[in-house]
Amino acid sequence: MQIDALTLSALYIASFVLLLIGYLTVISSKDLIRVLISLELMFGGVFLSLIPLFTSLPNSAFGIALISIFTSSSELLVLIAAIIIFDRKNKGLSTGLVRAGGERT
Amino acid sequence: MAAISEEMVLLLALIALTILLSMGVLLARDNFFSAMYMSATLIMVASIYAFFGIQPLFILIIFIFVGVTGIVTVALAATFRSEPEKASPGFWGPLALTTALIVAISLSTSLRHHPESGMGVIQFELGGFLGNPGYILLIISLTSLGILLMLSVLKMIGGVDECR
Repeated sequence: MQIDALTLSALYIASFVLLLIGYLTVISSKDLIRVLISLELMFGGVFLSLIPLFTSLPNSAFGIALISIFTSSSELLVLIAAIIIFDRKNKGLSTGLVRAGGERT
Repeated sequence: MAAISEEMVLLLALIALTILLSMGVLLARDNFFSAMYMSATLIMVASIYAFFGIQPLFILIIFIFVGVTGIVTVALAATFRSEPEKASPGFWGPLALTTALIVAISLSTSLRHHPESGMGVIQFELGGFLGNPGYILLIISLTSLGILLMLSVLKMIGGVDECR
């Protein structure tokens, strides 16, 4: 399909809206699982913004998309493991339980 | 005014559905439903890739992002089903407005100075991508990265026995 100015704008606006909703979800909740969900949503926004790159540099764009998918999913899986360990230690998933690095109770 | 083509209507419908589903993530009170809406949103993002004829990425996003990460998140949200605590987002309005303004200005500037940038026909061939040995090395390296990270995660959690 041909990407014209209208399509380009629609894609960028959708990407921005997804990022914004992800951001709003993060700041409107005090729950680590909600933070994880919104991070995944934000990555969805990032993937949308990659589509126009396929018009000029298709192979590089696919490579960038591959790197984004693999690294972000690995990062999210590590985050999931961190959340499980956090729950074991603190018996809760509220962001209020998260302390600054090195801070002790 | 130029008539909007059927393809454009379909794309706009896909985008509208994506945004509606992502609103579900924000508005759902239960984490489980929020995770389900997030998975549906990512499926719609993958569908937009399929719409543009980039099927390999559709499969990758569905398999890796929705099939692995999304399902684990849904399972996690289903396990920890406590009522999430809501915070009051005080200053998000001006911040969102400023970001939207920056995006709008950069988009209009880009379209004015480089009118052809990001526009044209998508001609992606998976065969052309896999024909380059550098990209094969990239795929192998990324797969190794994933495996190594998962092994480290298993060690962090305390091994397979600890997960039972």
